[in-house]
Amino acid sequence: MPDMSSGCLAPPDLALDVPRMALGDSARRSAQEERWGGLLAAAQAGDARAYDSLLREVTPRLRQIARARIRDAAEVEDAVQDALMTIHALRHTYDPTRPFGPWMSTIASRRAIDRLRRRGRGAGRESNIDDLPESAASVAPVAEERIAARNLRDAVAELPESQRTALRLAKLEDLSLTEASARSGLSVGALKVATHRAMRSLRRRFGVGEGDDRADR
Amino acid sequence: MRTDDLISRLSQGLAPVRRVTPPMQAALGWLALAFVVVAAGVALSGFRHDLEQRLMLMHEQVNMAAALATGAAAAVAAFHLALPDRSERWALLPLPFAAFWVSGLGWGCLTEFVERGWPAMHVSLGCMSFIIGFGVPLTLGMLWMTRHAARIRPGPVAALAGLAAAAIASVGLSLVHHLDAAAMVLIWHGGSVLVVMLLARLWGARAMRAMER
Repeated sequence: MPDMSSGCLAPPDLALDVPRMALGDSARRSAQEERWGGLLAAAQAGDARAYDSLLREVTPRLRQIARARIRDAAEVEDAVQDALMTIHALRHTYDPTRPFGPWMSTIASRRAIDRLRRRGRGAGRESNIDDLPESAASVAPVAEERIAARNLRDAVAELPESQRTALRLAKLEDLSLTEASARSGLSVGALKVATHRAMRSLRRRFGVGEGDDRADR
Repeated sequence: MRTDDLISRLSQGLAPVRRVTPPMQAALGWLALAFVVVAAGVALSGFRHDLEQRLMLMHEQVNMAAALATGAAAAVAAFHLALPDRSERWALLPLPFAAFWVSGLGWGCLTEFVERGWPAMHVSLGCMSFIIGFGVPLTLGMLWMTRHAARIRPGPVAALAGLAAAAIASVGLSLVHHLDAAAMVLIWHGGSVLVVMLLARLWGARAMRAMER
């Protein structure tokens, strides 16, 4: 019988590792934000290299914040660029004695929200129906057309050779009876009969009434 | 444009910037300016003839103190809210003071109604023009000072600016205009403050964006 207790309780060292990891993440994040705060303070004094480093380092975080709200990758990148420009415009509002994280997060969130608003209600987490290659509404008619075309090809293939030739020349290639006669070697009368029989047989097969026949002539 | 290229462009030739004034300091600066402007308006209009008696009345003192506190709290809240790293809950700061102010006037209406019946109502455009006349320029002054909020939360900051300016103007008006009935004060002072606040909420964001350019 397996020892159930071992499956329920984590080993003591692992149990201790979880909070340690969480603490590590939080400490790392806080140290990172402290560094970013320092870089921005230097940038406020005109240090371009510190500013360049700051913007490059915060970009993945800005992307993460934008991705939490926006699904479309191109929109996410636009929101990141908006956030970078806002950081640039508002760099004088940062107080180095305060944490950098909330300052940056508010800016990134606002820009992502603005993007969503611009795209209108329903954008963001929902898929834009126009972005899909084929919408549900357009799939059905296309599929129906394809099925009908295949059925017609099958029905034409089952016609006798003379009828199939007459149909191809007279109806598909739209030749005159004289031209079709010269091409096929059939008399004009035989072509007329063959074309008529081919059309009647196809109409029967697809359930089209004789009344509709005139439209095709 | 690629994000990397944008970063390079933003960091190239970076100029030093002057940090914004800390919000409490900025709020005190604006309040000082507002007091000077409204005091000048009061001096030009002249004190109401019964000011001494009115200031002896407890409810009058309470109403003026509540209006003053509402204006000061709204100014402090607006300057905090204009900064990206401050909580949106700063917007709630003036609410208790505003509620106290309005409820004080409401209570005054009720007691007057019980004692003397419904007061004679009349249109007091003077009240409205004083509050709007001083409230709008003071609001614009605060919008200019908080114009960096245009990219963060312009609407709430502008509404708070309107509330601050109109509430301070209302205190000045209490020293000038002869308006005894609490119902009249509630309608004309309260109504004018609301008008300024709504104007600021509607047009403030646009004004801030124009000032930021």
